[in-house]
Amino acid sequence: MLELVFIIPYLIGIVAFFSPVMIGRVLIVTTGIIEFALACMAAWSSRLPAATFYFTASPEGCLVLLVTTFLFLIIGLYTLFYLVETDMPREHIFNGCLLFFLGAMAMVAVSDHLVILWVAIEATTLTSAPLILLYHSKGSLEATWKYVLICSVGIALALLGTFFITLAMEIGSIKVPLTFSSLKEAAAGMDKLWLKAGFIFIMVGYGTKMGLAPMHTWLPDAHGESPSPVSALLSGALLNCAFLGIFKSYTILSAAGMHEWAGNLLVGFGLFSMLIASVFMIIQEDYKRLFAYSSIENMGIIAVGIGIGGLAGLGAMVHLVHHSLLKAALFLSTGNILFGYGTKEIRQVGGMARLLPMTFISFTCGFAGISGFPPFGLFVSELLIIFGAFQNHSFFTAASFIFMLILIFAGISKHFIRMTFAKGEAKLIRKERLGRVFPVFILLATSILLSLWLPEPLRQTILKTVSQI
Amino acid sequence: MELVDIVLSLIFLSILMSLGSSRLLQLIRVMSFQGVLVPLVPILIAPQYQPMSLSTAFASLMLLIKGVLIPLMLWVAWRKIAIRREVEPLIGYNASLIAGLAMILFSVFISSQLHLVMDRPGSSLLLPCAITTIGAGFFLLMARRKAITQIIGYLMLENGIYLTGAALAGHAQTHYVVEFGILLDLLVGVMIMGIILHRINTTYDDIDTAFLKELKD
Repeated sequence: MLELVFIIPYLIGIVAFFSPVMIGRVLIVTTGIIEFALACMAAWSSRLPAATFYFTASPEGCLVLLVTTFLFLIIGLYTLFYLVETDMPREHIFNGCLLFFLGAMAMVAVSDHLVILWVAIEATTLTSAPLILLYHSKGSLEATWKYVLICSVGIALALLGTFFITLAMEIGSIKVPLTFSSLKEAAAGMDKLWLKAGFIFIMVGYGTKMGLAPMHTWLPDAHGESPSPVSALLSGALLNCAFLGIFKSYTILSAAGMHEWAGNLLVGFGLFSMLIASVFMIIQEDYKRLFAYSSIENMGIIAVGIGIGGLAGLGAMVHLVHHSLLKAALFLSTGNILFGYGTKEIRQVGGMARLLPMTFISFTCGFAGISGFPPFGLFVSELLIIFGAFQNHSFFTAASFIFMLILIFAGISKHFIRMTFAKGEAKLIRKERLGRVFPVFILLATSILLSLWLPEPLRQTILKTVSQI
Repeated sequence: MELVDIVLSLIFLSILMSLGSSRLLQLIRVMSFQGVLVPLVPILIAPQYQPMSLSTAFASLMLLIKGVLIPLMLWVAWRKIAIRREVEPLIGYNASLIAGLAMILFSVFISSQLHLVMDRPGSSLLLPCAITTIGAGFFLLMARRKAITQIIGYLMLENGIYLTGAALAGHAQTHYVVEFGILLDLLVGVMIMGIILHRINTTYDDIDTAFLKELKD
């Protein structure tokens, strides 16, 4: 039963909520293992049929589910060692909400019904809000308020867009269930105008959650103020889930023959996000916010890739996988840096190569990966997107894409060199521990491995996803 | 005159009252009033009324949540707020009322431009009412300074979207599992916003959104 992928975390979350913190920590890792196994079963052999018509194991859903559950497993391992060294206030709430959050994300990945997808995406906001709030600082309070309010209002617009799509069905007198899989087949008969209107609202609504500019304002605050494992999950897993909402709607428009119009919209939003991110990254003073802006940039890259389609669409899906792995690795590394120096200011941190050698290596690899150096996967995916743009004769898109990548590289590398080699004012207050470093290396190694060798089922899932647009 | 027209007119009235309210308690009462009215609309526009159907049961559940439970949570939050209980608008009450009237005119104009053929009772007022509610929700979100009025703005926006759904979506697409999911999200959302509000109040002694200025680039 496919529904198990979100029912299990919800149930275990309730148990973790009411049990002692030590049991809760173990439950997080255990759930991670179970979920990853279930995701593999859903993607590999489709031996998990859905019990109701609200859910299905679509290729794009399976891809996001695999990435989400794998990240959760590794971040769960990190959390195990992280929580030993922090005084998390009310940790049982943290443990419970972390599992609820996983359940909500898994539900997004498997839902097929348009409104159930909406309900699940809104649920991801609500279950992750307590995770940001728990630290009680003034900053986290402000970040949570912005996160909940801006995302709820944004997602409400996506619901409006969903109603417009039902109207497009009604005008075309199509009598099928309101699910993505059946709408894709009936798309040709739908009313074009209302379908367009619906897509614009869905794009703005889920785009808010995905962090596309100019609706991204909540993102740097929420990612910057939350505990590092939560930042890693928000950036590596949650943004993909919101992207899934846009991608699934895009497949309907693609089936209705409005591929070009919707694609241009995606490319526009994507390039604008990259521009905004590159500007704010150069002037950034807080390293967690720096990587939050990098997430906005990468979501922009994915939107551009999907919008161009063809080879670039393939690049976008590869980008999604590797961005999640690398960005989670980077956020976990920033967690170790914050542990070591006790400050989030780039200017204060320095001499990492000498003081935190293992974190230095993981941070350097993460930096190389996110900037698109081989052997990490973003090199392949960004190249694919550029080739796709040339193949499609979108020279302006290709030129601005390359220009923005250079700008962003300049921004990140400036801060990176400052943090690793220059002298900083902050003293080391806590040494690094192997338990907090090895999960980061697992993520980095997975990214290298996947860029050298893609397992056949994963390759098939990606190809099937791309073939829909 | 159909019964649904009376209900929709009362919703228009509640929008104008909410824009003109100067006291927070009054605003919460208006929201409760609107929360009672909105669930009635889908029942009244249904082809025939069935007292024992699932739709009636769902409407009563929604009435309980939107009309009683959520206003009660807002009232609890209001009780805990420090001395200043005015709404503190960024845009004055008279200007807000005029903006509300302009929104009504604008939504009537838009609805007439859409050329949607709908052979249901209440069709002439339903869509303008839905669009005005959405607009007024956004207006309250932006033009009021307190965090609690932003929650109320979000609620009104949600009411408007629900009305739009009732106006646009056919009854063939109504699944109560799905609608219940939306309602549950709304309830939990307001609960979480209420918790954050409580934190803001204990940290800053006020729920003015001016506190939202620390994090920036």
